[in-house]
Amino acid sequence: MGQWDKLASNRRARLARGRALGRGKCVSAEQATALLEAVIEPGDRVCIEGDNQKQADFLARCLVAVDVSRVHGLHMVQSVLALPEHLEVFERGIARRLDFSFSGPQGARLARLVQEGRIEIGAIHTYLELFGRYFIDLTPRVALVAATSADRDGNLYTGPNTEDTPAIVEATAFKSGVVVAQVNELVERVPRVDIPGDWVDFVVPSPAPHYLEPLFTRDPAHISEIQVLMAMMVIRGIYAEYGVNRLNHGIGFDTAAVELLLPTYAEDLGLKGRIGRHWAMNPHPTIIPAIESGFVESIHCFGSELGMEAYVAARPDVFFTGPDGSLRSNRAFCQAAGHYACDLFIGSTLQIDLEGNSSTATLDRITGFGGAPNMGADARGRRHASPAWLRAGEEARAGAAMPRGRKLVVQMAETFREHMQPAFVARLDAWQLMERIGAALPPVMIYGDDVTHIVTEEGIANLLRCRNDEERAEAIRGVAGFTPVGRARSRAAVENLRDRGVIRRPEDLGIDKRDATRDLLAARSMKDLVRWSGGLYDPPKRFRNW
Amino acid sequence: MTRRPARHSYYEANARQRLRALLDPGSLREFLGPEARATSPHLESLDLPVAFDDGVVVGSGGLGGHAVLVAAQEGGFLGGAVGEVHGAKITGLLERALAERPRAVLLLLESGGVRLHEANAGLIAIAEILRALLALRAAGVASVGLIGGVYGCFGGMGIVACCCDALIMSEPGRLGLSGPEVIETEMGVEEFDARDRALVWRTLGGKHRYLLGEATRLVADDVAAFRGAALELLEHRRPLALETLAAEHARLEERLERYGDCRDAGEIWARLGIAQPQRLPLLDEDEFLAAAAGARRGGT
Repeated sequence: MGQWDKLASNRRARLARGRALGRGKCVSAEQATALLEAVIEPGDRVCIEGDNQKQADFLARCLVAVDVSRVHGLHMVQSVLALPEHLEVFERGIARRLDFSFSGPQGARLARLVQEGRIEIGAIHTYLELFGRYFIDLTPRVALVAATSADRDGNLYTGPNTEDTPAIVEATAFKSGVVVAQVNELVERVPRVDIPGDWVDFVVPSPAPHYLEPLFTRDPAHISEIQVLMAMMVIRGIYAEYGVNRLNHGIGFDTAAVELLLPTYAEDLGLKGRIGRHWAMNPHPTIIPAIESGFVESIHCFGSELGMEAYVAARPDVFFTGPDGSLRSNRAFCQAAGHYACDLFIGSTLQIDLEGNSSTATLDRITGFGGAPNMGADARGRRHASPAWLRAGEEARAGAAMPRGRKLVVQMAETFREHMQPAFVARLDAWQLMERIGAALPPVMIYGDDVTHIVTEEGIANLLRCRNDEERAEAIRGVAGFTPVGRARSRAAVENLRDRGVIRRPEDLGIDKRDATRDLLAARSMKDLVRWSGGLYDPPKRFRNW
Repeated sequence: MTRRPARHSYYEANARQRLRALLDPGSLREFLGPEARATSPHLESLDLPVAFDDGVVVGSGGLGGHAVLVAAQEGGFLGGAVGEVHGAKITGLLERALAERPRAVLLLLESGGVRLHEANAGLIAIAEILRALLALRAAGVASVGLIGGVYGCFGGMGIVACCCDALIMSEPGRLGLSGPEVIETEMGVEEFDARDRALVWRTLGGKHRYLLGEATRLVADDVAAFRGAALELLEHRRPLALETLAAEHARLEERLERYGDCRDAGEIWARLGIAQPQRLPLLDEDEFLAAAAGARRGGT
């Protein structure tokens, strides 16, 4: 008979080495680096919890400080590279290989390390793909996670930012791995149990509360009138047209403008109760006016947002909250919900080519994907119908024998972005980036065959109604403004597409461009948002002017 | 429940939009408009962009049927900074008021002060504006300053504001002599942290200026609210007399005595006897005025 519990017995050995350093599950901050040296073995797959917002920053610093002769050759598997420490483990030779989803602020440094051959990238994933692989072939041996508080049995309270923790801990704990949690405080009794104590092996009180990034706050003061115009087109030409009630909003000023036009423009059009009722999204502060004016019935969240805690806790009919009153977010479930249960995804992008492929990659940065591709893709496995989904399917499959729906995937882009860079290009920068870093694929955020609508200040291109690739390219040129791609349009072809309703200009939608002023925004400043929230929203200091 | 902000934000409007919404519909008549192309010779000689109105709109109009003369500085051009032509247009308007005797002169102030590119010409322009304004007050023509724009009202125009008969401010409007960055550069970040936006608005914003008695009225960020306050203040005068000056000096002396050691506007509010002073910045104008009632120091 072979030995079938090698992982479990290895785990017992690790725990025994770790237990020597503390009392029970609790290990002091001073002993944390020694703990990591005791429980991590060379070549381990290790996950440092790095989420969109919440960061296990103290444990990341401890991992950077380990003795390289004891801990090296690690394979890091984590959603987000947000902190400098996430790359220092590679610079110090503690880790070699990396599988991840998103690298945001560290994108430029990551690209450099990859080109210098100091990081081997396994693959860049979406969140759901990476979580999926945690349960298939990338299960962590050791997970370093972050929570708000813990009791002595290791029960964890994550507060509003539960985010990725359940997915990471589930995969690690039930495959004989070791789970170490940094917590802001040790308490007698946690306000609610987000992670059961017997899934957690060690608890380390961190010297300072874990870092939270206010990633989803957009100051309404910076929304332009072009963005207001595009938001009017989205509301009238897509939300009202298809009756979109279940949706996901990406982050950006474009979608913030849509959120702030719901209580004004959409309400004046009589759309309350007819659009935007159920959401998968982070608690964007700019959604407050729509909630307060009765548009929004429910929101499930990937994560939380700094400053929104008290407001969310006071709106339990809208948000998912625990018995302690605070938000329960869960990235894995919300991604699944966004993929299968929503009729529409809408987000901003940087570059779109003539097939409609869109990418946020630029030449010297590896930023990864995050969750947008999971939202911004047709859910091929979806089997339940809704009016919006069926209508989109009918447009896409005119004449097909088998009826089937389609997810609405909308990309918003001004024809020129900052520094007069055209948003519409013949060839995405993603191709060059692929060659430069030796990747197998160009990093495309949303594939053209998933995109259904492109919205620019010039109008909406409905790609569902294009019958072939040439029509599709011409429809894209038709909203690409004065970019080189846009100027190469055939005037006759574009007019023909406009007659067929494939391209719709603001005036075709009954929108007078002169009405697109900031006066339409339900909130024009951060303080307006605070007022809408009845004083419950508490914006981070850098967003205040009072 | 209507919690929408005003349809016509004063803060976000430009000079002409403000004037059109402030005055009786269709009554604005501009003097020396952009078609006259009275541009700055100094900027031109420095090869810098010029504006055809040199960043200020002057003209006449009606306010509730009363004839008024108006000037509105355009923050969008060099932050409303005063150059030679810009200043001459305002001075000319004030001198015209002395001759025509309208019901009032409304000054929509938004300026970082003197245009540094024009140096002495700008400084002289401020002096000329002040002289013309005081002559107008001596003649009994009402002068009303309005402050609620993005760039606030600083430098020489801050002095002009304080020389009006009455001053209307909204909370986002700011009034001061040296602006926040200037104070930080001159006195150090320990004295004043210009990047602490909360501190800047607490100290220079409309609510504090109202509590100290410098602003006559505090209104919501809505051009209609400014219009309403301006209509109410048409009779408001501060006679240009020795008693007025003596009272003003006594007021300033008392302020220094009472609050000279305060490190923050919030401390002053507490000493004024306002309950929960930290709430003030968040209050709507109505709630704020209720909280401020009785605590406000006398002034203009």
